[in-house]
Amino acid sequence: MTTVSDNAPGEASERIGARAVLRRIHLTTAIRLCGATAILAWALATPGFLSRLSIFSMLTSISFVGCVAIGMTFITLSGNIMSLALGATVSAASVVFMTSLGTGVVFAAVIALVFAGALTAIQGALVGFFRANPILVSIAALACILGFADVFTGGQRVYPGGEGFALLRSRPLGIPVETLIFLAAAVIGQLILSTTRLGREVVMTGSNRRASETAGLNTPAAVTWAYAIAGVATALAGILLSARYGSGDMDIGTGYEYRAIAAVLVGGNAIAGGAGSVWRSCVGVTVLAAIEMTVRLRGFSEEWQYFFTGLVVLGVVMLQASGGRR
Amino acid sequence: MTAALAAAFHRDMRPYTLLALVVVAVALVDRGRGYFLSTATAFSVMQLFATYGLVSLGLGLSLLVREFDISTAGMVTLAGAVAVLAGVDNPWLGIAAALAVGLAGGVIQGLIMTYLNLNSVAVTVGGLLTYQGASYVLTGNQSISYPHMSLALALNAPIAGVLSVRSTIVVGVFLLLALVMAYTRIGRDILATGGDRRASTVAGVNTKAIIIGVFAASGVLCALSGAMLSYGLAAASPSALSDVLPPAAAGAIIGGVSLVGGRGRPLGIAAGVLILCVLRSGLNAAGASSHVHDIATGFILLAVAVADAPDLQRRLTEWRLRRREASRSFERISNEAAP
Repeated sequence: MTTVSDNAPGEASERIGARAVLRRIHLTTAIRLCGATAILAWALATPGFLSRLSIFSMLTSISFVGCVAIGMTFITLSGNIMSLALGATVSAASVVFMTSLGTGVVFAAVIALVFAGALTAIQGALVGFFRANPILVSIAALACILGFADVFTGGQRVYPGGEGFALLRSRPLGIPVETLIFLAAAVIGQLILSTTRLGREVVMTGSNRRASETAGLNTPAAVTWAYAIAGVATALAGILLSARYGSGDMDIGTGYEYRAIAAVLVGGNAIAGGAGSVWRSCVGVTVLAAIEMTVRLRGFSEEWQYFFTGLVVLGVVMLQASGGRR
Repeated sequence: MTAALAAAFHRDMRPYTLLALVVVAVALVDRGRGYFLSTATAFSVMQLFATYGLVSLGLGLSLLVREFDISTAGMVTLAGAVAVLAGVDNPWLGIAAALAVGLAGGVIQGLIMTYLNLNSVAVTVGGLLTYQGASYVLTGNQSISYPHMSLALALNAPIAGVLSVRSTIVVGVFLLLALVMAYTRIGRDILATGGDRRASTVAGVNTKAIIIGVFAASGVLCALSGAMLSYGLAAASPSALSDVLPPAAAGAIIGGVSLVGGRGRPLGIAAGVLILCVLRSGLNAAGASSHVHDIATGFILLAVAVADAPDLQRRLTEWRLRRREASRSFERISNEAAP
């Protein structure tokens, strides 16, 4: 999945060793292709993998994790590695959505999206303007979100304050709504990234912050926007999850931050930022969901899926070593 | 007076000063009702310290060399499960197995990040997921009980009213590491590696070995913490991951470990963790609810993250200049308009 364009920033200086670089890239690409083929073969050879039930189950899981992964992609691309607060943001968005359902489903969704977007944008502003450590800021945000949510919910489950969320559980044309929303979010996310000025600024900031600043980019604004988009995408997962379960609580999104960063890494986005796309994260989500499903269908107990996910992430991270890290 | 204040809030003294202030503040909130200033509260503070202290120390060591060990939270859970499963016949065997897992996990992660020149956050996220998966597999995704209740009671039995076997061991480990950091070459090499890795390599420090060693130490510390926690509870559970990371990070950061590496001491980390523990049990004893503590931890972390941010000074100066500029042009305009 690594292409030559990934190494574009260092292209001129590495021209002498171009052949060596190419050989290394080919090696990692070969390993990745072999890995992907092996997983695909393993999955397809599993009886029942292509059944309606397992495909729908995979689609649902892909959609929930995928929304968070789209958001995480923006944070990673902007050069800030990951946010440990996105799982708690999913939960908080589910609570906000369920609480404000009395105002109508569309308005409630907008409130939840804006809420999560603003919450995450604040973290982005601190990281962007002051260059505060992104991991630490996200851990701080995690503690704050959990604390304030406890004040607000009293540790209780929040039940819908109105009707209308059944709409989010329907299946127009036989496709679950969450899948449609996830696909729409992925397309919009990728369009923002590759066709808008903001998207390019985010990638450039992640690729080389100092150079971008010298070139006149407003890097703090780019980072803040990347976080805001991450918050909005994450809120989608919260809304969809709470609609599915018919209630919101602060445990609903536990672990989603780790599944999302796993998808971002497995998809082949550069952990240091500056190279990657929403598509890659979508591929990552799909690969992880396929592994999950295969593990389950092959009769391993459910727990093994976590273990395999961990190993795959470690393996993919190790492959990045030769993919070029500044 | 000001000199004394400056000394008290100097980076190296700050954790201890803050600790004293927090104790006084919580005592004031308690208003002499005696809930806070009691041996019972002191005991519960030390029990909390025993739970978070070593994780914070492990994370703090990785911060000292300018890395970030996210896998600490996973190792606590995994080591707890390993200790409970391997120690059914002999608790010592369980502890040994847990420590071996911690050592192996740390060394493998250290090897990966030094020899492949990889970002420690990426590697340790992979490590965290693997540890978490392994503990799910080992426990079968349920809480498993440990059939030695007497051991749990013995570990938590009070010594001299305030300490327990568990917290005594943790205090001992902190003192040991403080000695290592202050008086051995390894300690100086760790600080040098965190301060400027390239310069340290040039000066002859084996920085790769130092980093591998630091992650190995972090793994062992978290494993010890997890094993003792599981023995103390007579149970191991695969969940409760996210709860450990915020207090552990906060403890190290409040304890004076610099985010840019090379500064920090084990005893400072101990003071940082104690501050959080005093806040939690003190506020509990004084009748405040537990989420106050979460929020306080979050804001303290946020404040330190911003205070230590490399661009903070620059932005403040920018804003000040812009304000001065604005007020000058305002004066000019109003002067011109006046006559």
